[in-house]
Amino acid sequence: MTNAFAGTDGTTGTGRSLRIAHLYPELLNLYGDSGNILVLKKRMAWRGIEPRVLEVHVDDRPSFSNVDIAFIGGGSDREQKIVCDKLLAEQEELRSFVEDGGVLAAVCGGYQLLGHSYLMGDEKVEGLGLVDLYTDRGEPRIIGNIAVESRISPQPIVGYENHGGRTHLGDGVEPMGKVLYGHGNDGESGYEGCLYKNVVGTYVHGPLLPKNPGVADYLIARALERKYGSADLEPLDDAEELAANKVMFDRLMAGEVEE
Amino acid sequence: MRSALAVGAGRLSHWGLHSVLHRSASQLPGRVALGIDPNLMGELAGKLRKGSIVVCGTNGKTTTNNVLASAIEAAGNTVLCNRAGANMAAGVTSALLPGRSADWAVMEADELSTVHILPNLKPKYLVLLNLFRDQLDRAGEIDHVQDTIVHALQSSPETTLLVCGDDPLSMGVARRAAQNGTKVLAFGVDEDLHLPADRVPEARFCQVCGAELDYDWRTYAQLGKFRCPNGDFARPGLDFAATGVKVDRTGVSFDVRGKGIDGTVRLHAGFGGVYMVYNLLAAFAAASLAGVTGEQFQRTLDGYHPENGRLQHFRVGGREVVLNLAKNPTGFNQNISLLLADERPKAAYFVINDDFNDGKDISWIWDVDFERLAAEHMRVICGGHRANDVQVRLKYAGIRADIAGSVGEALGRLGNTDLAEPLYVLTNYSALWPAKAELERMGERHD
Ligand SMILES: [Zn+2]
Repeated sequence: MTNAFAGTDGTTGTGRSLRIAHLYPELLNLYGDSGNILVLKKRMAWRGIEPRVLEVHVDDRPSFSNVDIAFIGGGSDREQKIVCDKLLAEQEELRSFVEDGGVLAAVCGGYQLLGHSYLMGDEKVEGLGLVDLYTDRGEPRIIGNIAVESRISPQPIVGYENHGGRTHLGDGVEPMGKVLYGHGNDGESGYEGCLYKNVVGTYVHGPLLPKNPGVADYLIARALERKYGSADLEPLDDAEELAANKVMFDRLMAGEVEE
Repeated sequence: MRSALAVGAGRLSHWGLHSVLHRSASQLPGRVALGIDPNLMGELAGKLRKGSIVVCGTNGKTTTNNVLASAIEAAGNTVLCNRAGANMAAGVTSALLPGRSADWAVMEADELSTVHILPNLKPKYLVLLNLFRDQLDRAGEIDHVQDTIVHALQSSPETTLLVCGDDPLSMGVARRAAQNGTKVLAFGVDEDLHLPADRVPEARFCQVCGAELDYDWRTYAQLGKFRCPNGDFARPGLDFAATGVKVDRTGVSFDVRGKGIDGTVRLHAGFGGVYMVYNLLAAFAAASLAGVTGEQFQRTLDGYHPENGRLQHFRVGGREVVLNLAKNPTGFNQNISLLLADERPKAAYFVINDDFNDGKDISWIWDVDFERLAAEHMRVICGGHRANDVQVRLKYAGIRADIAGSVGEALGRLGNTDLAEPLYVLTNYSALWPAKAELERMGERHD
């Protein structure tokens, strides 16, 4: 976050604003993740909260001191490794961001990076160690639609998962939710994703936020609460989003989507 | 003996299907034959007097392959071709069955099937048009597609790779193949087209060191004159180069210079956008390597009508309807460019399904630049199994769209808007055939 935020404190002027750091969009955008950023931006703007998005690129030295929401998406193994190496250099800064209640959303490969380690082929790669979890591998690759019941969304969270990794949560780590359809973290526990402080990690893409406006608003509300002490969010007309969520959920539960 | 039997069984099932079941015989006879003798494709290749050409790439392979086959035919050859687009090993074998001999086989191949096709067919040329993200859940990641094509080429050392030099992802394949001894010829556009930049996809990185590539110009998506700032990877010198490129609503035209081509050949076609320049350039390069002249190729283009629902024009109740396939972000963005190049007021109907052949994960719609349509204030309607997802995508692009279950219903929504306003129907794979059938029922085709 070298220059773009320099000299802007976001509290000048009348309204509220939030700063979103999109980490390595060029490397970790395998599953339409730009859609997640777009949804955060629009849902803030529609409520008069000024969104300030900064893309963090490979050659940038990120600083998280003035970030409200950080987002990490998914990429191929090769790209994920590049990102992990970059972020390991910022591990302490990221850790204090997370411990201080900074909002961090991590999807797919980004989710795996949160843990102590993950596997790239047969090689064990050190992760960021931000959340007590680790990822190993299993066969077959888990690919398909998924629906998850979660306390962070009034509707079931609906999306798509595509991962060879099996993610195992430490004892004290809360899953994002319970799998209603699909496989989730490890295909066995019946749980999906993780929640830790204001971190949300998940395999659900599709992308995650457009059809799950509750999750988008959860992230925005946590960031507002941390920055302004109040999480008041004006309701929006989500007719289209909720229809898309419901249509897909109903198709899945009715067995209308072939695996 | 074994393979004579296999050929017999394959032919019989070809005959049986055509005569009795009246259904597409493009895939099944090859499966029957392959089930008896897996080496059959290699043996059938022996009946080709001059050889074979295989065309692969994420977008445009059917059009490129069919134009190429027609051009080689127009030059007086007999050609076997999987025109219907059955492009896995079984489909290719099936297309090799008819007749005792032929001059050429011209075959479209699914990228991941090249590894089964090349070692048996041992084609003279493999045309690699482009690599884009497509059908992720089935094809896996781009890295895997690249590895597969490299391995396929390794299994057929006499095959020359004819590759799009402007595409860093295809050149990533070419670079590794060349290290294994494969002969490489490159085609590309050799001038800045000064087009408004579309969204840069994820692939603008050096295939050697990962640095962000510099571009003198981009033509579309990640294609252009690229170079790694660290000097280890760049757009190669072009063996076949297009210049003087013109692209508008009426079609494309350009000059080609290249290996074995006498002077400059100007080609023109009444269809397509920038992507079509690449398809036709690739087809002409391969055709000229097979001995086709510029004049013969142009005559083929003059008589060519895009098939399989690709960019077809219909007239329904006095309104023009343009139907085209758009199955991934790059294809969709190119279609949006085409639509924006049409200066008339217009409407659009986007149909997205999530059947197996489409890819069940449609998150790619968020990588399509629908934002470019927002300023047009045009009527947009969504359809298909994932109509609601498209509607949400459009909402976040600043476009309010409604939903219609069929082309007929979409046309109905236009009500009494001026009949001079065309309706563009863009669909992904499995939604194409129903839309086409509906249009053929309701109106008539015109080209
Ligand atoms: Zn490089």
